[in-house]
Amino acid sequence: MVKSKRPKTKSRPDDSTPSLDGLAQGNGPSDAAPVRRRRATAESMAASQRDISVSEFFAKNRHLLGFDNPRRALLTTVKEAVDNALDACEEAGILPEIWVHIEPTTSGRFKVGVQDNGPGILKKQIPLIFGKLLYGSKFHRLRMSRGQQGIGISAAGMYGLLTTGKPVKIMSKVSVRKPAHYYEIQIDTKHNRPEIINGKGEGVEINPGQAGLKTIASHGIEWIEADHGTRVTIELEAKYQRGRGSVDEYLEQTAIANPHVTLHFVDPEGNQRTYARVAEVLPAEPKEIKPHPYGIELGRLVAMFKETKAPTVSQFLITSFSKVTPAVARAICQAAGVSTRARTRKAGRHEADLIYQAIQETKIRPPSTDCISPIGEELILKGLHQVVPGEFYAAATRPPAVYRGNPFQIEVGLAYGGGSSAHRVTREELVELLSESDSRTLRQFLATTFDGLGLDAADRVITEAKVKTRVSPGKLKPKEIDHLHEALRNVNLHDGQTMNILRYANRVPLQFQAGGCAITQTVIATNWRSYGLSQSRGSLPRGPVTLMVHMASVWVPFTSESKEAVASYPEIQKELRLGLQAVGRKLGTYLRLRRRVKHEGERRNLFLRYLAEVATATSALNNTDRQKLYEQLLLVARKRTSEADVKLDDRGRPVGEAELDLGANVLIVDPAERVTAKINGNGETIAENHGKEPRMNADGRR
Amino acid sequence: MAKKNSASSSEKAKLSPRDERTLGQLVGLADAVVEAAEKRRDPHVDIPTRSLSNVRYNQTKRIIEMGRNTTRRQLFNLSQAKSFMQTLLVGSGCRQLIEQGKTTSIRGLYYLLKHTIEGTKEETFNDQSECDPVIEDVEVILNSLREEMHLYAQKRGDMVGEIVLEDSGDEIDCARMGSGGYGIPSIVEPEVIRFKRCDAKFILHVEKDTVWQRFNEDKFWRKHKCILSHGAGQPPRGVRRMLHRLHNELKLPVYCLLDNDPWGYYIYSVIKQGSINLAYESARMAIPDAKFLGLRSRDFERCSLSPSVRIDLSDTDRRRAKQIAHYPWFEKKKPWQNEIKRMLENGFKLEVEALISKDISYVTEQYTPARLAEQDWLD
Repeated sequence: MVKSKRPKTKSRPDDSTPSLDGLAQGNGPSDAAPVRRRRATAESMAASQRDISVSEFFAKNRHLLGFDNPRRALLTTVKEAVDNALDACEEAGILPEIWVHIEPTTSGRFKVGVQDNGPGILKKQIPLIFGKLLYGSKFHRLRMSRGQQGIGISAAGMYGLLTTGKPVKIMSKVSVRKPAHYYEIQIDTKHNRPEIINGKGEGVEINPGQAGLKTIASHGIEWIEADHGTRVTIELEAKYQRGRGSVDEYLEQTAIANPHVTLHFVDPEGNQRTYARVAEVLPAEPKEIKPHPYGIELGRLVAMFKETKAPTVSQFLITSFSKVTPAVARAICQAAGVSTRARTRKAGRHEADLIYQAIQETKIRPPSTDCISPIGEELILKGLHQVVPGEFYAAATRPPAVYRGNPFQIEVGLAYGGGSSAHRVTREELVELLSESDSRTLRQFLATTFDGLGLDAADRVITEAKVKTRVSPGKLKPKEIDHLHEALRNVNLHDGQTMNILRYANRVPLQFQAGGCAITQTVIATNWRSYGLSQSRGSLPRGPVTLMVHMASVWVPFTSESKEAVASYPEIQKELRLGLQAVGRKLGTYLRLRRRVKHEGERRNLFLRYLAEVATATSALNNTDRQKLYEQLLLVARKRTSEADVKLDDRGRPVGEAELDLGANVLIVDPAERVTAKINGNGETIAENHGKEPRMNADGRR
Repeated sequence: MAKKNSASSSEKAKLSPRDERTLGQLVGLADAVVEAAEKRRDPHVDIPTRSLSNVRYNQTKRIIEMGRNTTRRQLFNLSQAKSFMQTLLVGSGCRQLIEQGKTTSIRGLYYLLKHTIEGTKEETFNDQSECDPVIEDVEVILNSLREEMHLYAQKRGDMVGEIVLEDSGDEIDCARMGSGGYGIPSIVEPEVIRFKRCDAKFILHVEKDTVWQRFNEDKFWRKHKCILSHGAGQPPRGVRRMLHRLHNELKLPVYCLLDNDPWGYYIYSVIKQGSINLAYESARMAIPDAKFLGLRSRDFERCSLSPSVRIDLSDTDRRRAKQIAHYPWFEKKKPWQNEIKRMLENGFKLEVEALISKDISYVTEQYTPARLAEQDWLD
């Protein structure tokens, strides 16, 4: 669990960051000021006015970090740990392999263990990384990474401590030859400071080799033997429940967007699942960039003026920002009416303001976009195909673009025809899901548990199963469960199934606040009707579609600290729209073809319908053998309709194999072969089914 | 179908040579389908096109003739599959009728052939309007007459006059038909109707029943030695065929007394040159020598009619009149062009009944005799 934090950035507990300024002020004196009657004097109030530690603030406002309920807490903990692990592995250039263990301890408590094969963490960094909020390497640099603020994993540890009193356990190994370290840490919320509990505040050193194994055993440390890596174990009050917004869903979605990762997951029941990697290459390493002048705010500029070591304004501009050449710096200074040679140390707020205004008026080239490492169309297809069953896949990676001086890139993947997860559920799984659910009615249970199963579809399932609508999911009799299972498999959920959107920011799945997210809003605003899906105004399109949208950026503009929704900037929405349209067009072409093939089938049926009549009437006229004539006509009909298959389509292009040339980055799976292409029990995908040659079955029906 | 047919084939009627010919053609229609199927080809029938684009005015014969254009109807064409099936169905229905020696109305044939297509909820014919054009198609495909297919339409039109004829063995004296007249059957072929004796000198055809009643009550036909007929508007085939036979076999000239409006002109045109829809039957129905006796556009002044009998021309009327003026058979006739022009200038049309405003029997006692005496008619 490496959070690659650099020692040089020293942050003090009272060092409020820009993002927290507003929150901290909320508790300031201005709020407490009495309006009508004077109850306290300024002096008496001053006595109670004091610093608030960030840790304290978050301990009280845990919902801001995604710990609002036990179920969420479990997910956030796993998520933060896995995200950090992936960042560390990628930064070190190691193909990530991650183990996630969730184990129930006492009732309502779970032990979460996440281990990676990353580079490990240095001894002295371990306590700071896991025991101090807002400590990290990612906040101050502009580089594409999963984590941003340095809050996540320490907050998870803090939550664990608050709810169970158990410390965070960290085991880290840098190399085979060097000793590993084992720490039990808890956070001192008052001072935002780590406290090491074991080994008299020094931790335990585990020597390499046999001796080390003994130590591990004697201390009861959980560790999967590996050459290097980190394992973090947090015990917390939580609730394990499958379905939407669950750990299972998070890991599944992570596997889609990170095809180079192998994930092992042991759930609380002890079932093991593995998402094997489908790509053996790490994504290109994102470069760190300097901020772009357009993306800077006045306050930040003032702060940068104070921090800079550059002697002159001109040099400051050139060294602190990207795309500022000496010529651009001169132009800015000229526009601001500030000398290029002006001393930065003497520059005050006024000068900063002038320069800020000048920056907006000066033409500066957009930032270089090589700092982003997209997943890539091919890997999106592979990832989607591994996890989402379907018959048609398309992907599009947009060229990089810029919002407020931050480069970003949008990628969209689409899987069509997968069918709802409800179709795939086994009876055992259903029993479990039913017992875990806290939904009050069966209808609610169905709608919240399965993707793409709306309330309409739930009603149909319930009618088909002949179960009472308002029955509680936990109170179903075994026979009723049988009926329900049968109904889930049989009811056609395609009608009324809404599009399932998987949102990602820097390869991290976003599972909550779908409505407030720019991605969802843009999907709704896109006209999917022209791509062959039905869609009512202001809602998601209907159909068996899974859409994956990835926003990669050096700084993803989240709407809140819990990183669940992307803010709507016009530039981002435009890129999203273009990406969605790119895959939409491919889907449209495919669906049109499919519809036409189906139409051919109907056409044939129409002919067949009249053939018997024609044969009867003809034999009545000239006494030919009716049956023989009928069979002959049948042959002609077959020949005719198969010829019609390759006739021109509505755009005047030949229908058939040739038209399936949808361009690159489309994967079509023959439904007949999908059975084998499905991920098998252990999660290993059968590799040979990743063939990319487009195929189409004859009648186009599933 | 198969069932009905096997039951009926046991009671075969004696076939006339005409029936043999029709049957042969029906078999030919079916053979083409079988042949195409054997060769794995798309079975089709070519139907002569029945539209204005495919009719020609034959200057020498002075009748409308059908052109050579045909419309292909294919089994394996989405929009034609059903009508192809219906075409063959009508064919098989006709064979059944011919073999049993029975005739039925076109509505009867529709009921005979209407059934649910096996394995579907679809009917072979949804209503009669779907069946009637198919019957006409089969007529033109086989180049047979409706009566040769043992079919008839609802009869319309009556006649009275100085003629005795034999209808299906019964002798009918058209001078002794009372006030109702003799209803002209829809099939008037020599097999059914034979002319026994005729004292009439000409035929007066009026547009509709009301006018015909006036002439019949005044016994116009007795005074003027003629045959008086009407076709209740656009004359049906039976009436036209009857007029054609009377004109050609008994050499009786035909005079038409019709309304002075585009519709009246068109009725005259149909009697004289044949209709577009039944252009293939023009040779058996058209009477190129028929004359247009009235009413004329100038009759309003000539007969000094009261202004209240005028009926204003509608836009449809004007359009129709211009269209008729451009028919090739009217185009080169100056008097006709003047006639139509004058009606358009008048801006009103006149019905034959308008003459009643002068006197109840003005039309029978003065108007028509005067026109005939003056030989004042349009050709």
